Amino acid sequence: MARLQLKNVNKRWGSYVAVKDFDLDIADQEFLVLLGPSGCGKSTTMRMIAGLEDVTSGEIVLGGRNVNNLEPKDRDISMVFQSYGLYPNLSVYENIRFPLRVRKVPKEQHHEMVMTAIRMVELEPFMDRRPADLSGGQRQRVALGRAIVRKPTVFLMDEPLSNLDAKLRVSTRAQIKNLQSKLKTTTVYVTHDQIEAMTLADRVVVMNKGEIQQVGTPTEIYDNPANTFVASFIGSPAMNLVEGRIEGGTFTGDGITVEGLKAPSGPVTLGFRAEDASIVPSGGQIAAPVYAVELLGEASMITWRLGEQLVSVKTAKDYRAETGQMVEASVPAAICHLFDAETGKALPR
Amino acid sequence: MTDTTAADAKLIAPRRRRRSATAKPLPLIALSVGFVALWVIAAAFPFLWTAWGSFKVEADFFSRQNWMNAVTGVQTLRQTGEAFTMDGYEGAWIEQEFWRAVINTAIVTFFVTTISLTFGTLGGYALARSGFRYTFWILIMALIFRAMPHVTLVSGYLLPFFELGIWGYLPTTIIVLVAINQPFTLWMLHSFFLSIPKDLDESAMVDGCTRFQAFRLAVIPVMWPGVITTGLFSFLLAYNDFTVTSMLLTAENQTMVPKINSFLGSTQAEGKVMYAVAAVVSAIAPLFVLIMFFQRQIVSGLTAGAVKG
Repeated sequence: MARLQLKNVNKRWGSYVAVKDFDLDIADQEFLVLLGPSGCGKSTTMRMIAGLEDVTSGEIVLGGRNVNNLEPKDRDISMVFQSYGLYPNLSVYENIRFPLRVRKVPKEQHHEMVMTAIRMVELEPFMDRRPADLSGGQRQRVALGRAIVRKPTVFLMDEPLSNLDAKLRVSTRAQIKNLQSKLKTTTVYVTHDQIEAMTLADRVVVMNKGEIQQVGTPTEIYDNPANTFVASFIGSPAMNLVEGRIEGGTFTGDGITVEGLKAPSGPVTLGFRAEDASIVPSGGQIAAPVYAVELLGEASMITWRLGEQLVSVKTAKDYRAETGQMVEASVPAAICHLFDAETGKALPR
Repeated sequence: MTDTTAADAKLIAPRRRRRSATAKPLPLIALSVGFVALWVIAAAFPFLWTAWGSFKVEADFFSRQNWMNAVTGVQTLRQTGEAFTMDGYEGAWIEQEFWRAVINTAIVTFFVTTISLTFGTLGGYALARSGFRYTFWILIMALIFRAMPHVTLVSGYLLPFFELGIWGYLPTTIIVLVAINQPFTLWMLHSFFLSIPKDLDESAMVDGCTRFQAFRLAVIPVMWPGVITTGLFSFLLAYNDFTVTSMLLTAENQTMVPKINSFLGSTQAEGKVMYAVAAVVSAIAPLFVLIMFFQRQIVSGLTAGAVKG
């Protein structure tokens, strides 16, 4: 149970900057997700918290104590690795017991602690098996069990679900969420999957190229992306982004005109979500030939090509249109986000 | 119990089916079996021939009249009154004190193997986990040293060893053999360590191990096949070495291989060459036992590096 602070943390390898000015205060019991594309520095940040990488500059404070120069074993953390990192020569039981053994926890407590953890991750029937005889999901649960067997101050999870198949991912995700709410341990979770981030997090940190792009609750990040990167990274599909100009409150781009926007004249990027817009018979802000119609099951997705960009709108699942047919969509000013054309930063609405 | 057998049966069944599905044509099977049989005979014949012949006298085993004498043992029967004789073994082991060479070989191989493995595992692990680019050049350097003929290294050692007065002793030879062997053990173990995911040591460190504990408790238990395979090759290098041991050891300190050679060197005296034959058989026997004993680990060690990602 602890608060975790990262103060202006930097990581450089030679001239390559992996993490730049990372500044974050993680509250006790918070579930924080680091989200970003591969190579954005999220795993490096987590490895610095774990002590597996040195900090180039800045401070990592865990429970009020600077841990910059502590070995991983002295930081009182536990970590779940993407490839699980199980000990192949030990049984499930011994794998989970390993941290207790090396940390010299009194022997008579081992059995009870291990059994509690095994029950939490529902592995009783597989206790005596070796990791090689388990499925991917079971291995992942062994790794989870090993992380929770002693009560660490912080859990670190490095893409724990990315080696699982889609169905298992959903159920294991729910299990992680459930475990964390039971154990109430501060958790830092790294993922490149925005759905995992949205479902699990109390707060999400979106990273790109080693820098924090936005910090906020999943809803904040979804509803008010701070820049075009966050807008294009969060959501499935991502936010539609169209380049164009504003003149007197009217946005004009290729095949799209939106009136009633409150923004100074000049070049901007306009964004809106596919599910906020709708198909209309006439008088829509978009009027262009259809580029593609995709059936998603619960909805249909109509895509236009506006200049260089593809723009999509979600509509009823029984909607049908031919490629090349003229279709109009309503994109009212209220659902639009505006971003600076040069910096990509969100403009005040 | 019934559970496991049912599960086993389920596991085995599809394998059998697959085998029958890819059945090969009969001529191909005959050809490949024939080839393997031929190869086994060609490979095993020298050993069997020598082992058989070691119980004969020289006049039979190196007969000028009829090679069949080596099989029937005409001269052996005439000279000793028996079809088989232990003369060669008695001469080598008792008269020529071959047991001293055996002890020397045991000392040399034991220390060469343990020292190379100690440095090899530690160094190989460090090289496999280090992120620095110079590790590549260290390995390339090791490869160059490994590629040199042993004799070029030995000739360089001779004069300094004479000057220092350490020529002729076992420890000197052990050091040289370790030096020759180390590049190979480093390479071999380095690639074994590379096949072990970094996550393993890292999770051990997060679980509460120091770097060395992680190495000892998490990595080495997984590494056994690799250590045993590399250890076996180190053992064989020291055991079979002739170049180094023949040039760096005095006659009293000789190991088995140079000792056998010294038996051969005096072919004028009758009977000596049979000492060599008997000694050769004595030297081969432990190798068979060793390889049979470790064959499972060796096979898994030789293939592990190739299969694991």
